[in-house]
Amino acid sequence: MAKALEGLSVVDISGSVSTEYCSKIFSDYGAEVINLEPESGFETRKIPPFISGKNDSAMHAYLNTNKLSIVKDKLEKESIRELVSNADLVLSNGENSELSAYSEGVLSEISWYGKGGDYENFVGTDAQCFALNGMLRGLGSIEGPPIIPTGYQAQILGGMAAFAGSLGQVLGLELGNNKNPTLLETSIFEACLCLTEVGAVSFFNTGLEGRRLGVNRFAPTYPLGVFPCKEGWIGLTVLTPSQWHAFCKLLNMEQFAFVPEYQTSLGRLQAIETIEPVIQESLLTFSSKDLFYKAQEQKIPLARVPTMEELLNVDQFLEREAFTSAILPDETKLTVPSIPFRLMDTPPSLGGNVAELGEHTENFSYDK
Amino acid sequence: MTSNRPLQGIRIIDLSMGWAGPLAARNLADLGADVIKVESCENFDWWRSWEATQEWIDEDGAEKSPAFNSVNRNNRNITLDLSDPKGRELLLRLVRTANAVMENFSGSVLPKLNLSYDVFKKEKDDIILLSMHAFGSTGPWKMFRAYGSTVEQSSGLPHVNGMSSDPPMMHHIAYGDAVAGLNGVSALLVALRHQAKTGKGQFIDLSQVESLFPLVAHGITEFTANGKEPLRNGNKSKFFAPNGVYPCKGEDKWIVIQVLNEDQWLSFQELVGTPLKDFGDLKDRLSRLEDLDKAISEWTSSKESQRLMYVLQAAKIPAASTHTMPTLLNDPHLNSRNFWQWLDRAVVGNQPNPSAPFRVNGNRLPINTPAPTLGQHNQEVLTEILELNQTEIDELEEIGIIGTKPKMPSS
Repeated sequence: MAKALEGLSVVDISGSVSTEYCSKIFSDYGAEVINLEPESGFETRKIPPFISGKNDSAMHAYLNTNKLSIVKDKLEKESIRELVSNADLVLSNGENSELSAYSEGVLSEISWYGKGGDYENFVGTDAQCFALNGMLRGLGSIEGPPIIPTGYQAQILGGMAAFAGSLGQVLGLELGNNKNPTLLETSIFEACLCLTEVGAVSFFNTGLEGRRLGVNRFAPTYPLGVFPCKEGWIGLTVLTPSQWHAFCKLLNMEQFAFVPEYQTSLGRLQAIETIEPVIQESLLTFSSKDLFYKAQEQKIPLARVPTMEELLNVDQFLEREAFTSAILPDETKLTVPSIPFRLMDTPPSLGGNVAELGEHTENFSYDK
Repeated sequence: MTSNRPLQGIRIIDLSMGWAGPLAARNLADLGADVIKVESCENFDWWRSWEATQEWIDEDGAEKSPAFNSVNRNNRNITLDLSDPKGRELLLRLVRTANAVMENFSGSVLPKLNLSYDVFKKEKDDIILLSMHAFGSTGPWKMFRAYGSTVEQSSGLPHVNGMSSDPPMMHHIAYGDAVAGLNGVSALLVALRHQAKTGKGQFIDLSQVESLFPLVAHGITEFTANGKEPLRNGNKSKFFAPNGVYPCKGEDKWIVIQVLNEDQWLSFQELVGTPLKDFGDLKDRLSRLEDLDKAISEWTSSKESQRLMYVLQAAKIPAASTHTMPTLLNDPHLNSRNFWQWLDRAVVGNQPNPSAPFRVNGNRLPINTPAPTLGQHNQEVLTEILELNQTEIDELEEIGIIGTKPKMPSS
């Protein structure tokens, strides 16, 4: 079946988590994606987690299914120029100016802080983006220190934002709305601001500055958080008056249901010392799985909070093929997430082969 | 500013509410699409309020929500009571002029309104419908309800964050919303490209929970590659030291410092001086983390966080002070890049609007119009697009199909 982005060619000249996540969506939807790697390989080949007993990066495998790998040092300069200039989209971290200068289509640079400004030359990390976007200060115990989110979350968000911007520009050229190739410049930090910008605008209007209230406490919603059950963990979010009434009934704490002060989230949050011990005690009489289904039947948006093992075995996700296989060069299959959105008539690839470093160098030279 | 409008000529009918759908629509509008948001006076966007009262209505509360106003700029806003056959018919007429429809209701809402992809397709053969349900449009949980917090709780993400002595840690009051929004715009762009090439529309099934899986990929692959559940170690890293958040001068002031290689360590050690002179290579530092963090905390606690960030970054040591909401609005980097665009908005006055996270040829995508008020474009859309005359519009207003003020739900 044809794929929606077939016919597009994308060349990644930098190989960061952000450029690779961005190009992953292109490759999953049928674009030809070429990783133009140095002889030592893209840096993402060396980032954790690693696959047991090998030096291979599991993260690199997740990000690089269905892409071609070409070692640029083994190509003639003219071949490199041709490869880059023929691409509809060139992805870069903004540092490789010699290669990006060859771009004749959309050049999409994804860097930590973007060009210009005080932080332009800062050494960036995921944690920094969450510190500077204001999210980090709200995480963890009241006394601190704030707790850093793990993994590559900021870079993935940067890649997601860059995908939207990049495809927007490519589409603009195809539709004739853009007359000339463009330079798109995505800031990973600014991509992370989508999480907190509402808080900043709210502060501007209300003058109220949120404090760190403790793990899983976020004003004004209450009840909210992750709590232990008899078996497993349950996620609570109770927002509207009708949800509160149903929640009280479900947990056998109807004495709280119609207390006037408890009809708003903020009112409940202010009475947390009265309400929470009763909630905690009641939750310990349920298994999280049973409680989740009972709550959802009554339109209360509770959640099972799965561990990694549980997540991979949730029937909802299994039925939807939310996880798939990245197939490594030695045929090892690694379970990884599938793409989160499905075009039903032009479905994406779910999983696929991960190229060995330089696997396609020779064929490329031959073809040209 | 730039005149870059790559999606000019594309029309999106946005039925979505809250944060996820409207954020996706906002990105499309920023790129130049004509986004028409459809609410109704009774079933207005719940991000205006989920605890509406008559007093709130009388005091124009619906127009004062910073959350609503920050994600609905650059679009047009109309009201249509979709539970009334006349309102529904007008929506379908609008769909005939559009490239795509988007929604993020729970699974039961569109069927109740007798609306679906097939219904929209009958009106316009090449229409795209993006459905952004919390758990997706298929599977045993397809009708289940969720907020952005539920989405994060369901995604596995809490189990890779926080301390093992605490419950699995959430990041945010609605992490799932913003991330699903970024996926929503991507999904629609892919389908719009296919539509432009082939003249064919289609249904897009987006799961908000699955939208978070890429952000948990490091935890998922840790398990699938090694069979081990990731440990919740707080700020401790297996690979770097120091790696933490350290106290600075003042109440609740902090700085993130992460030393990622030995060159950075030597620079850091030289900068800090005596307190770190006894610490050696990475192995040594990892084995004495508590002492290392204590020494660094003592050193940072007398320093101003923002200034220290600049000092450390000048030495190429990864560091960042922790912003608060007020400092975020005054961030020098964001201000020099014109991130906050200020626009005058009815009822609430001059407001900061966050820009799209990308610039084109060095320019910000313009925010031409602030979030419209409820039904602000009824007249414009109904006359110019649906070609209704004034008598018809007046009648719609009289019978409550359209309006510009919220109403308390009738039941």
